[in-house]
Amino acid sequence: MSMAEFTPDTTIRLGAHSVTRRFGALVANDGITFRARRGTIHAIVGGNGAGKSTLMRILQGMDRPDEGVVLVNGMPSVFFGPADAFKQGIGMVHQEFMLVPGLTLLENLVLAQEPLDGLRRIDRRKALEAARKLEREAGVTLDWDMPVDDAPVHVRQIVEILRLLYRGADVLILDEPTAVLAPAQVQELIVLLRKLRSEGRTILFISHKLDEVMALADEITVIRSGKVIGGMATANTTKAALAEMMIGEILSRPNARPSTVGRTVLEIRGLAATDARRVLRLKELDLDVRAGEIVGIAGVAGNGQDELIAAVTGLGRVERGAVRLDGQDVTKLSLRARRELGLSYLSPDRAAEGLCLSAPISENLIAGRHRSPALCKGGVLQKGAIKRHVETLLDRFSVKRASAALPISSLSGGNQQRVAMARELDGSPKLLLACQPTRGVDIRGIAFIHQCLLDYREAGGAVLVISEELDELIALSDRIVVLYDGRVTGEVPRGSAKVEELGRMMLGETRQEIAA
Amino acid sequence: MSAVASSARATPAIGWRDVALAVAPLVLALVVAAIVLAVAGHNPLEVYWLLLKESFGGVKRIAATVSASTPLILTGLATAVAFRSGVFNVGVEGCVLVGGLAAAFVGFTYVGLPATLLLPLALGAAALAGTLWMLVPAVLKARLDVDEVVTTLMLNFIAVSLTAWLVNGPLLAPGSANSATPMVVEAARLPRLMPPSTLNAGFLIAIALLGLYWLWGRGTALGLETRLAGLNPRFAIASGINVPMLIIKMMLLSGAIGGLAGGIQALGTVNRFVVGFSPGYGFTGIAVALLGRGSAIGILLAALLFGALATSGATIQLFSDVPIEIVNILQGTVMIFAVARFGWLLKNRQGGK
Amino acid sequence: MIDNIIHAAFVMTTPILLAALGGLVNRVAGLVNIGLDSMMLAGALVGLMIASQTGSWPAALVAAALVGGLLGLLMSLTVTRLQANEIIVGLGFNIAVAGLVRFFLKSWYGTSGTLSLPDVAMLPRIHIPVVADIPVLGAIFSDHDPLTWAAWLLVPATAWFLARTRLGLRLRAAGAAPQATRALGLNPLNLRDASTVFAGMMSGLAGAYLCIGVVGIFNEGITAGRGFLALAAFYFGRNRPWPTAIGALLFGLFDAIQIRLQGRGLPAELVQTLPYVMVIVILTLVAITIKRARNKGA
Repeated sequence: MSMAEFTPDTTIRLGAHSVTRRFGALVANDGITFRARRGTIHAIVGGNGAGKSTLMRILQGMDRPDEGVVLVNGMPSVFFGPADAFKQGIGMVHQEFMLVPGLTLLENLVLAQEPLDGLRRIDRRKALEAARKLEREAGVTLDWDMPVDDAPVHVRQIVEILRLLYRGADVLILDEPTAVLAPAQVQELIVLLRKLRSEGRTILFISHKLDEVMALADEITVIRSGKVIGGMATANTTKAALAEMMIGEILSRPNARPSTVGRTVLEIRGLAATDARRVLRLKELDLDVRAGEIVGIAGVAGNGQDELIAAVTGLGRVERGAVRLDGQDVTKLSLRARRELGLSYLSPDRAAEGLCLSAPISENLIAGRHRSPALCKGGVLQKGAIKRHVETLLDRFSVKRASAALPISSLSGGNQQRVAMARELDGSPKLLLACQPTRGVDIRGIAFIHQCLLDYREAGGAVLVISEELDELIALSDRIVVLYDGRVTGEVPRGSAKVEELGRMMLGETRQEIAA
Repeated sequence: MSAVASSARATPAIGWRDVALAVAPLVLALVVAAIVLAVAGHNPLEVYWLLLKESFGGVKRIAATVSASTPLILTGLATAVAFRSGVFNVGVEGCVLVGGLAAAFVGFTYVGLPATLLLPLALGAAALAGTLWMLVPAVLKARLDVDEVVTTLMLNFIAVSLTAWLVNGPLLAPGSANSATPMVVEAARLPRLMPPSTLNAGFLIAIALLGLYWLWGRGTALGLETRLAGLNPRFAIASGINVPMLIIKMMLLSGAIGGLAGGIQALGTVNRFVVGFSPGYGFTGIAVALLGRGSAIGILLAALLFGALATSGATIQLFSDVPIEIVNILQGTVMIFAVARFGWLLKNRQGGK
Repeated sequence: MIDNIIHAAFVMTTPILLAALGGLVNRVAGLVNIGLDSMMLAGALVGLMIASQTGSWPAALVAAALVGGLLGLLMSLTVTRLQANEIIVGLGFNIAVAGLVRFFLKSWYGTSGTLSLPDVAMLPRIHIPVVADIPVLGAIFSDHDPLTWAAWLLVPATAWFLARTRLGLRLRAAGAAPQATRALGLNPLNLRDASTVFAGMMSGLAGAYLCIGVVGIFNEGITAGRGFLALAAFYFGRNRPWPTAIGALLFGLFDAIQIRLQGRGLPAELVQTLPYVMVIVILTLVAITIKRARNKGA
């Protein structure tokens, strides 16, 4: 690639040209090209794992592409760190906010670019003046002496945005900015971003919420599996068209034979639960999962799914309501006790919770079941029995491996997930809570895991699937329950689920409203 | 800590690279000490040769080395047990002190008992004292998430002062002015294996425990749980392992072994408890556990190394003018290099987040 | 008697306070410094040597601060660049430096443990005429050396530095959220290194104080674990300068009392444990408060 291909063009404020970034075997970004024009709001849209976050990190200088270049004002730029991007006026608001705890809002605002007085002290008066000016520009008012730790989420977000403006950024990159916001706050954010655009700033935002994208963006780039699927002006597209591009063809169409539905295995009544920051995320939930059926939970991330997982597993706090497992009240029991009663849990975060990456495959496969009488006698692990058991399971789940004694990190993501799946289906559990079961898994692995879930259902197992992949839920679920803002907005039986309809329910509309 | 835990897994084959990585801290420390020696006008190679001769040249010297390594095997083991569960216990030193005093107390108090009863009783008292000493930090860590580094470190100083007070007052040997308990009776002493060497049956106990540790790590449910909890506590919890309880158990076990180290030192070598009883066995134990990468054989080798340094360091002063402190310099730098990572210097860029 | 104890308490407080303020800034910037004691020891030895050689106490203080700062830099680089665990590195420094100091004494001066040099320039005492004769007040304010005054002036200075200056703000940020700090284009590792150098310099001064402010000779046990008392002080004060200073003063008072208790049948050793017991109690109380708050809800 020669420099001759590029000409300075100040209307192209920020862009990427053939950006490729690999992590081992995974190609997170595969030749991505797009251009965000000055003074516009440009949306990068894609599903989970599409490669949006990697692209954003590259645009902001936190990461560098293996191939291709970042374009600034039409010309290639190399960033060795966020500071380089800042120098070009590019700043980013991260999904997990990058504010410093223990500091006040004002201190956070001026950090790294503090106004000083003659004695090299921080000039509080100047700092506050600057803060007030930004407030007026953005049309908000804040208590600047509040410690960050006490500030609500949307205030933190505003501070992050103002901080970028304070530091002179005129390109704002926002990573899933509305994921943490309540609907009213989303409206405020939209107003703020439009105001910034009208002042000539360029905004690049990542999202998978199509309504917001349609409402806010001037131009849209859709990416899927690390590749650009399409770029268009918002005026020239529809939500349905975007959804189709995002999701693509449904690759796996597993064969779901009818199965007999049995007794209720999981029964949730009047459940309310808070997250770690003690915000009420799950407000009122009733849910039944019966033997022989797969129930899917659909919803935009952050609408109570994490708290539902925490309530079913016992890893989080329940405010009100009851969780019954096979007729027994387990609301106050630990995960350990629930596992003994027949719960299996496939974690959404394979690397941090679902597996122990530095431990051998075999240990990952037996962890939690290592004290079962067949594998352990008097506290002593039965090597031979374990080896046979491990090899049988690995063969049954077609895990490609050199040796079960190798660390599981030596396996591909798909094979790692097979191991996790094998462990959770081992020992005939009554209920399987499968969270994001195919995240980061290759196509063949997806098909295999889907078939596993369906086989288990046919054998009389009860499955609760929580997934951000709508096609996966449609393919697997006997019923899809849609969560919005901590409540159920509706339930769709197998065969009648459509992506568009589910998408609208995920944004809070009930089925009746959609039909009307 | 993670170095200990992560290398504790059963790897199918050990390559040259692993060996090189394992001895790298030692080599680097030897280089640093060589520079110190050279600056002071000594020939480092001559000194190292002398150290080697004085620690392994002949049966007597070997016996002395093994004897000196006995408490280090145990303190290294005590540290490794805690590290493996992900707990940063730096309080083994305190356990050594309270354990040593408890064993000595039993050994000079219940003088009427026969050896078959008194010796186990005294060793049991040592282990119990060490266990109880770890109870507070264990519960604080597991239940309230109080930083165990600080609590165990503070407890070391408390142990130093507390035992000093006891041996200066209530437990002072009658007619003695030198801050020591009375001698333990013959029946409470661990049999010497090769008199006149101080090498005693305590070494056999240490080796037996090391063997148990090896078996425990490889073949028991508890060992597996401990390793998993140390490597990834979230995973362990999600797998249904009671991690807080496990932390308490392992810290108490670590305390028990630390206490036993003190007890064996009191009953096998010193035959009483005196102020300054431990020249930092607990801290050396941390170096032993780190250098040995938490494996049984590694701990044994590292303990022998530091035992050799301690014995030969003491005697080279007699034959040359090299100060014994070269041993401390080696020990401290081994610790530092054992936790330093040099890998990133070779890698130009890290992938992923 | 009371005046005596008060004066002695302030004398014993100074080294703890100096090192504690250094360790405090270090911890605020994200590094728990277990190696303060080693830097103190090195500062003590170098301070004495230079005080004897040059006959100038300011030169001795500068040298002690420099050697402490150098050790701090070495320690910090091991932690920040070689990603070594700070606790182990700190313990390793304590062991290695103690060995090095004794090795040096034997090799250079041919003495073991204790070093006494001629013509040591001791820190001067500042006598405040009228005040000196007032009971209690005199003991508090008069006949202290410049380093004691400096240590106490540094308490508000540190509070002000951390709260109001640019570097202070950045150090706090580097400690609380290194990732976020890096995202803003600052280098948290450099900031951390700087704070460790500061901690080393303060500990070096603390060591020099013991040598040329109190005793006049060097002994291998001269620090008597005061680096760890400093650690206890800023844990006790939970990283806030004034509470840390009060902790240091309390520990200094225990020290002064403990010396007077010796030979009176009262358990001086038990008084020595008090600082450490207090830290454990404080940490426990803080943890209980946090847990209560979490259970009660926002």
